[in-house]
Amino acid sequence: MRIVVDILIVISIFFAFAGVVGMLRMPDSFTRMQSSTNIATMGVLGVIIGGAVYAAFGLHEPEMVVKLLVLGVFYIITNPISGHAICRGAYKHGVRPKKEMKCDKYGEDMVEDK
Amino acid sequence: MKKASIPAVISTAVICYIFWLLISGGLVALCKGTPDVRNMIVGLVVSIFVGLFSAKFFIHENSFYLWNPARLVQLLIYCIFIFPVELFKANLDVALRALNPALPINPGIVKVPVDLKSEYGEAMLANSITLTPGTITMDIVEEDVPVEETVEPLEGESPEDAAAAVSVRTKKQTFYYIHWIDVATEDPKAAGDMIKGTLEKGVRRIFD
Repeated sequence: MRIVVDILIVISIFFAFAGVVGMLRMPDSFTRMQSSTNIATMGVLGVIIGGAVYAAFGLHEPEMVVKLLVLGVFYIITNPISGHAICRGAYKHGVRPKKEMKCDKYGEDMVEDK
Repeated sequence: MKKASIPAVISTAVICYIFWLLISGGLVALCKGTPDVRNMIVGLVVSIFVGLFSAKFFIHENSFYLWNPARLVQLLIYCIFIFPVELFKANLDVALRALNPALPINPGIVKVPVDLKSEYGEAMLANSITLTPGTITMDIVEEDVPVEETVEPLEGESPEDAAAAVSVRTKKQTFYYIHWIDVATEDPKAAGDMIKGTLEKGVRRIFD
């Protein structure tokens, strides 16, 4: 049991580490957002599921398991909304990547609308 | 603002009550055989009030949509099997990209068509795509696109006239603008297949 918990937490630490490295290395804000979703999904979910397993089989506290899982569900529901809003707001405000994007259908269509 | 219907209030109140029971520990106490009656009654009253006030923001379509057990099972299958597999694959991909010394990224925004009937389905698919590392949904638009049909020209009608008659017909089509970290193709259909993968099928089974 202890081994399963450890493996889950190590996996999530690996993904969180990769996400932080990505955030430092990526060239512009949009790709940095991409890298941060890495932390937000596997990084958090691994810890939450690991904690739930530990609470269920190590501590024998069902209430803690339920609360951790509800926490995970709300995290998953709310996180993409903020990510989407930040990205869209940045683009509409005029943030553009330094390195030219391969294709930019959104910008082309926005110009057409005006 | 549209007024809330009674089924919408009931659905919202039931969802609120389920979360009340989960978070306040009422469900665990009930399963142990020592229900906390006062807690449960307070929760019921609060849930009904919350349902009355917030149902009109929360539910716009058919209120009893997810009360169908088959749909609930599909939702569980989606949340437990289909989505985590895609999530893990994409996570590994982006993590390896970030750790790779050459930083092999190729970002761009692509436009992808989506065929879903329900608003909830569209929102759920967009959120699933955003949650998957490597892709972020930036906007959802609905546009008129011409229906591509080849029609045999009628008798005494030139092919150009037939083509003109066909191109007038349009249909509503939803598009997502997706920021993609590694643009493999700019073709909307192919990019859509690569980004959505199995997700769209799973969502369609729940909401259509």
